[in-house]
Formats: sequence, C-alpha cells, structure tokens
Amino acid sequence: MPNVAEQSSAIRSYYEGLAKGVFRAVTCKACGGYTFPPTGCCEHCASWDVTPVELSGDATLLLASHNISPACHPRFEKIAPYVYGHLRLKEGPIVQGIVLGVKPTPEDLKALFERGPVPVKAETLQMSDLPVIAFRLAG
Amino acid sequence: MRNKLVERAVISGVGCSRFGDLLETPELKGLSIQELMARAVKEALDDAGITGQDVDAVFAGNAMVHSSQVPGTYSQLSKWTGTQFKAGVHFEAQCSTTNVGAAMAAMSVAAGVYDTVLVYGLETTRTKVKGFSPYEREPISHQQTWLWTDMAVNQAYGVPQGYDIFSTYNGLVALGYCRKYGMSIDDFDRSMFELCRTRRLHGSMNPKANIQEKLEDRAAREGFSDPYDYWQSDKHNPFVAWPSRLLSLVTTADGASAMVITRADAAKGAKSQPVELKGFGISYSDLPWYGEDATYWEFDRRAIDAAFDMAGITAADIDYLHTHDCSHISGICTAEATGYLEPGKGLAAARDGRLRFDGDRPMSTHGGRHAFGHAWGASAGTDTYEAVLQMRGQAGPRQIRKTPEISVIHTHGYAMIGTVVVLGSV
Ligand SMILES: [Zn+2]
Repeated sequence: MPNVAEQSSAIRSYYEGLAKGVFRAVTCKACGGYTFPPTGCCEHCASWDVTPVELSGDATLLLASHNISPACHPRFEKIAPYVYGHLRLKEGPIVQGIVLGVKPTPEDLKALFERGPVPVKAETLQMSDLPVIAFRLAG
Repeated sequence: MRNKLVERAVISGVGCSRFGDLLETPELKGLSIQELMARAVKEALDDAGITGQDVDAVFAGNAMVHSSQVPGTYSQLSKWTGTQFKAGVHFEAQCSTTNVGAAMAAMSVAAGVYDTVLVYGLETTRTKVKGFSPYEREPISHQQTWLWTDMAVNQAYGVPQGYDIFSTYNGLVALGYCRKYGMSIDDFDRSMFELCRTRRLHGSMNPKANIQEKLEDRAAREGFSDPYDYWQSDKHNPFVAWPSRLLSLVTTADGASAMVITRADAAKGAKSQPVELKGFGISYSDLPWYGEDATYWEFDRRAIDAAFDMAGITAADIDYLHTHDCSHISGICTAEATGYLEPGKGLAAARDGRLRFDGDRPMSTHGGRHAFGHAWGASAGTDTYEAVLQMRGQAGPRQIRKTPEISVIHTHGYAMIGTVVVLGSV
C-alpha cells in the first residue's frame, strides 16, 4: 500500500477544532467576509481565496424554540427535547444551534423571549460519536 | 439574464392522485407506486386529450428515492404510462420538484426543442418498500422519514449538529414574526387555530385530500365542545417547537401528480381549457434561510421578483395564491412577501376568514400541506392542479366566487429552493 498523503478537509478540520473547543471559520481575502461553518469558497463573493480563522465563540441569542422528541436524528435522541436557537455571532454570521442553560418548556422559553436578545457563549457538546457546537446562556 | 419565455407555453392537462397512505387510505390501499403514478399521468393525459405517445419528453420527479426505490423513474414508469422511447430525465428539487419541472418544460417548449412535455412527480412519505418485495409496503417511522428527508439539508454542518425542521421552519419563524410585529403569543396561537380551521375546511371539500375532516368535527369527535380547547390540548395538539403546534404543520402522504405542458398554438382546440404558464422564478439558499429578521427570506424575494418580472404582473394582479405551507407561519410570511397579504397583517387576515375559498384573499383551497397532505416531490403539482381547476371554474364546492385569472404558486423545495410559478387565463 503506497503512502498516500491525506488532503485537507474543511469539514474534518472544523470538527477536530470543536473537539478541542476551537470554533473554526474562514475569511475571504477578497471581501473580508466570514464563512461559518467553513467551506473552501466565500459565501458572499464566491472567491476561492479564503483563509482559516478562529472565532471567539461570543454570540447573541436572538430567538429560542425547541426540537421534538424523539429527535429527527438518532444522534440527539438522548438529549431531546433540546432548546434550539437563532443566533448572531460576534463576528457577524447568523447561525442556528443547540442552546444550553434554559429548559425547553413553554414557560421558560416565553420568559426568555420576553427578555429579548441575550448574550451566549459557544462551547463543545460531546455527543457519543461527534463533537457539536452549542451555545450556553451567559450568567 | 433576459428572464423571458420567447414562446408561450401552456398547461394543457393536469392530474393528481388521492393523497394518503398506500396501506390504508380509500382509493389508495393496495396500489403499487407504479399504479399510483399511472393514475395521475392518465388523468393529465386524458385531460389534455392525448396519449403518452403524443409527448416528446418526460420529466420524472421523485425526491426521496429511499422509500420509492425507483431511480431511473422515466424508464421504470414508461410502460405504465405509454411513454416508451421518449426523451426523459429523473430529477428532483425536493418539495418544489413538479413546479421546477413545469418551468423546465416551459423552457424547453419556449426554446423550440419540444412541442409537448409530460411532467410528473411521485412520492411516498408514509410507506416504503417492504424487504425486497416488488409490491408489498410497510409504514415508515417518523424518525426515518425525517432522517431521509433531512438528507436534503446541509449534511456537513446543519443536520450533524442538531438542525431541527420544527424549530427552524416553525418555532423560530413564529417568534420572529411576533417580535417584529408586536404580536402576543396568545394572539399568535389563536390565529394559527383559525388558519388551520380554514385549511381543514378546504380539505373537507376536496375528495383527494389526505385529511377531509374539519377541525371542529375532529374536536367534537374527541369530546371537546369548544374546538379551541381541543387546539390548546397538549394531548391532541402538542407544541412541536414552541410556540408552534403540531396542527400547524404538514401531514405526510403518499401521492402523485402530473401535468402536460405544450406550445400555446398547439393547444388551440384542445380537449380542456389550457392555462398559460406566464412566468417562473427560482432561487435557492443553504442554511441559514434567514438573517436577523426571521420573516424575511432572501431567496423567496428573488424567486418572487423574477417570476413577476417574467410574467409581467404585480401583486395587485393576483387572484389566487398558494404559498408553501409545510409550516403555516412560514407560508404567511411568504404570502406577505408576494404582496398578496399586507406585511404583519397576514395572521389577522387568517383570523378574519379572508383566506377561505369564499374570502377576499383565497389561499390554498385544496387544503394545503396540512389538510391536502404532503408527498414531497409530487406536492407542487397538486398546487398547480388546484390552481388550474380554480381558473377553469372546476373546483366544485370550494370554487372561488370570482374565477381567478392570475394565480401564483410558491413552493419551498427542501432546503431551500424557493420556486414561484405564475399562471394566467388564456
Ligand atoms: Zn468574499
């Protein structure tokens, strides 16, 4: 078996980063925009000239709802129902992801909705087969 | 881009199966998917007054191949539809499939390549092939349906990290709508109840609908004297993504639809009244589907603008509208984006009954994705089917009082392709 060098993959790099608590994106050398999660092409101007960058993990939770149980994907069966939110990262990108630190009940989600946007911090949620991004309410 | 059809194309025939479950629904129980598809194709060809040998090409749509197991659909269905030796392709644009097919057919006709194209869509979202049987089927679990369906959604990052259609398409959009327009959650809930009531009313008047029971009748059957108590019952109508409830959602179905697209001059003297495909617009986006404002979807804006430009219409011209309503709140946001409903007033219009077949803003008179049901790649064709019936004055008890001259049909192909088709009376 010849020794074949492994090509780099933005997806593998992203999840390997998550496993270490690092949140990887790319920025565009042409327009300066962020593409998160990372690809090999700028999502704003279609330039291929992108470079890896690490994000702060600071974000604002704009809206929060919850998923169903059993979850649509078996990976999340153990934690369903979970809170799922609409967020803006400090660096600009809009993302959606699992939210920690609030219960998926109508009462708690209503109270959160009435508070308005709140600060959150990204962390790594280790599922049995994959590290995934999650956002925890600050304070 | 020029955004023009250089020759006129019309829909000269439409067909649609009953929507339901191949294991239990009357008119469907026991059918193979080949026979299910053939029924819709036969209806469309009969409606156009032609046979399968009169078409030049077949665009065969099917999205969830996991349950149908008929890739190469054009050839596998050819002897069931009389279309041997035609040009053909199997394609998918998920839940926009059949209307993207109509657009491709109109383009091929307008380009002078084909005179007549058969477009069909087939989907089974309730049943799948049992073992290796050529005809036996078995139910698909809820989780399996979404695992397969969500394969059309960002598989690099979205789905692996907990993407959930019920939040993304319903709950978060609902909260964005309430926050933007200062609507209380209680008012939202009441409005969604009224919207569901309208869709179920339409379904009750449609013998092809998946659900043909009015919401009030269902509530009474479950022992509720006030249907709103039934609506708010956790047992019967739980939150699937607060503040969105189960009955504001799609219901899954097995089903098929078909249409014949032909040159306008070739349809003169046709068996049935043709309807012109005046324009279309298509725009897609990966996640996220919206920015900070969860009610504004850029790809829908672009699809609507392109379709209206090609057709030469404005919002004021729309007599009948269907927007994709897998999620009732998302469907309202899109209706507002078309200009048919006033921004922030769509739910009030629903509460006032204006979206009913007999209201002044009729929408989704077949029952929509909730009452008519949703068979992914077949559903857009059912929306077109309904619009054609309405424009011919053939919609029976649910006929819109002023026969529509311009209809607009919007669909979301997962995830996401906004597709808008403009139909006009000839
Ligand atoms: Zn760029």
